[in-house]
Amino acid sequence: MKTAVYGIGNILLGDDGIGPAVVRYLQSHVNAGDNLTLEDLGTPSLDLPNYLDGYDRVIFVDAVNVDAPPGTIRLFTRAEIMAVSPGIRVSPHEPSINDALIVMDFAGNAPSEVTLVGVVPQTLEGAMTLSDAVSRAIPAAADAVMGELGRARVAVY
Amino acid sequence: MSRVTIDPITRIEGHLRIDVEVDQGHVQKAWASSTMFRGIEKILVGRDPREAWLFTQRFCGVCTTVHALASVRAVEDALNLEIPLNAQYIRNLILIAHALHDHIVHFYHLSALDWVDVTQVLKADPKKASSVAESLSEWTGNSTKQMAAVQTRVKGLVESGQLGPFAHGYWGHPAMKLSPEVNLIAVSHYLQALDYQRYANQVVAMLGGKTPHIQNIAVGGVQNAINVDSSATLNVDRLVQMKGLLEKVVGFVQNVYVPDVCAVAGFYPEWFGYGKGVTNYLSVPDLPLDGKSTKFELPGGFIPNGDLSKMVPITGQKDERWRKAVTEDSAHAWYKSGGPLHPWKGETDPNFTDWKEDGKYSWVKAPRYDGQPAQVGPLANVLVGYASGNPLMVKWTDAALGKISAIAGVKATPAMLHSTLGRHGARAVRTAVLSELAVKQLALLTDNILKGDTTIYNKPEFPKGEIEGVGFHEAPRGTLSHWVVIDNGVIKNYQAVVPTTWNASPRDTSGALGPYESSLLGTPIADAQHPLEVLRTIHSFDPCMACAVHMFDPTGNNVARVKVL
Repeated sequence: MKTAVYGIGNILLGDDGIGPAVVRYLQSHVNAGDNLTLEDLGTPSLDLPNYLDGYDRVIFVDAVNVDAPPGTIRLFTRAEIMAVSPGIRVSPHEPSINDALIVMDFAGNAPSEVTLVGVVPQTLEGAMTLSDAVSRAIPAAADAVMGELGRARVAVY
Repeated sequence: MSRVTIDPITRIEGHLRIDVEVDQGHVQKAWASSTMFRGIEKILVGRDPREAWLFTQRFCGVCTTVHALASVRAVEDALNLEIPLNAQYIRNLILIAHALHDHIVHFYHLSALDWVDVTQVLKADPKKASSVAESLSEWTGNSTKQMAAVQTRVKGLVESGQLGPFAHGYWGHPAMKLSPEVNLIAVSHYLQALDYQRYANQVVAMLGGKTPHIQNIAVGGVQNAINVDSSATLNVDRLVQMKGLLEKVVGFVQNVYVPDVCAVAGFYPEWFGYGKGVTNYLSVPDLPLDGKSTKFELPGGFIPNGDLSKMVPITGQKDERWRKAVTEDSAHAWYKSGGPLHPWKGETDPNFTDWKEDGKYSWVKAPRYDGQPAQVGPLANVLVGYASGNPLMVKWTDAALGKISAIAGVKATPAMLHSTLGRHGARAVRTAVLSELAVKQLALLTDNILKGDTTIYNKPEFPKGEIEGVGFHEAPRGTLSHWVVIDNGVIKNYQAVVPTTWNASPRDTSGALGPYESSLLGTPIADAQHPLEVLRTIHSFDPCMACAVHMFDPTGNNVARVKVL
């Protein structure tokens, strides 16, 4: 199974950079084999389908807006992600993972297995650093990713 | 009278909010605002100017490459640093490939649903759709069989109850007018466009090392090692591969995208009468053809009051008038300094007051050119090209107007381009022009390499003391400029004046409206609960301001709410 782990978020806006930070942590701690892609995608918006095409399984790491203390980790299944309506958009570039999956489901090339490892942010103010609470969550978020990879039997060394 | 607010409700991420006052079915007043403070330019202060592009390409997720290139151009301008021809051509190819990708995505995946009614697809006759499509172009992807397959796919979607990509379309809105067959053609091309935008993006990745964040740029040139015989570098094989990808995209743009836009325009001719707004147009020259960036493939200029005969050319980044004309005003924006400031003196100190219709109401500053608001984007680019007599711009503009005239049964003229549909038409024209220039730039690069020139980089040297530079780029959404002040080799000030800031500008000190605001005045609104007409005009500008923060929101609150008071 071709698998990708993608960090999503803006590294210039505080804790929004958690996705890219977890990917950097994984890149320095594991050796990805040929079937695993580890990449910081930034904020790809509707370019996202280009990075999902050809993959069977994708694990996203992203900041999430849920009512929980900063640094809390929450996992979302594909069904939970798809349950969010894309709605009307004033600016058509408002990015979302479910938008990309909806388009790909219609085109018939969406990855079948998708998980989102979400981390609750503390601040999204312009800065290239993470808050302490979110920074401390990096290893646990990376473990959550490894757990998902283990379930999928993706070899990492 | 009613007040309609289209607002992604109160969330921390930045979005575009539009407020309009509707009386007797028409918009009488309008306000455009951004709901997020960015100020991320401050992160650059104190950093090495040679690294700035690595950070600026993180400003936005869609326009990564454009901010990387504007940044290195700004630093090179400050240093008066010439770059090798290969570097110029490679950068030009990246810019063109990115724009081809971006414009295709904008039309098919981000805005076509303002005009296309997917429910109508089920009523279409695939055979008739095929013959209509084949009468519009020679594209081979329009067979009855292909049309029938797409119709079956849509049927499956509707039956499953999953509205899929079309959930946010306004199904059955009274303002929808395409025939069932044209709706089917549009959805069929929506699917094909997914492949063709990807080919263009692959060219960006091949030259840039990877996407979304390219790796190959440097202040002074590029980092693409060139050796025609080495498999690890830019070689003949890769040049041939890129040629193949670009030729596919060229075919799609000229035979599918351009005819589709003309067909939509032909069904909605009244939209040539709405959405005019600010008719001062600003566009900068781009695709430099020499190392000093003094000659350009596409011209730049400023058109006052929509009068093409009064166009004042912008000759390059060193153009004295251009360097002095740009200011930003914060009278109605949530910043401390009010008065217009030149970007080199620009300040980004927040002063939030709440949304006040007569006071401050946006995080976007009001950029002005010679003190006046200006519209930027493909329409400005095409009008400046047309006014300059650029042969490709004239050829494709006339071709598109001819096609629209034939479909609509009315004579389409350049004057009609000052409109909502004019912006879509101009974007298609610009894409067609760029598709031809993609092939040309690749030929220039290939010839130069085969002549034996493999230079890619001139080393920058930073002087003692203070220097200033501006880097501009005619990006997919319009004129982008990065303004940098460097002191003893370190960044002292950095301001990015981005295309959406020009177009989403709030009112200024004198009360002059920005292009979005002005374009909405007089727009008819059939149903205030479903203000599709407002979205049509706003989407025609291709707004991009919300990419700064990305956060998954399981509550679904990241979508716009329409509130009618």
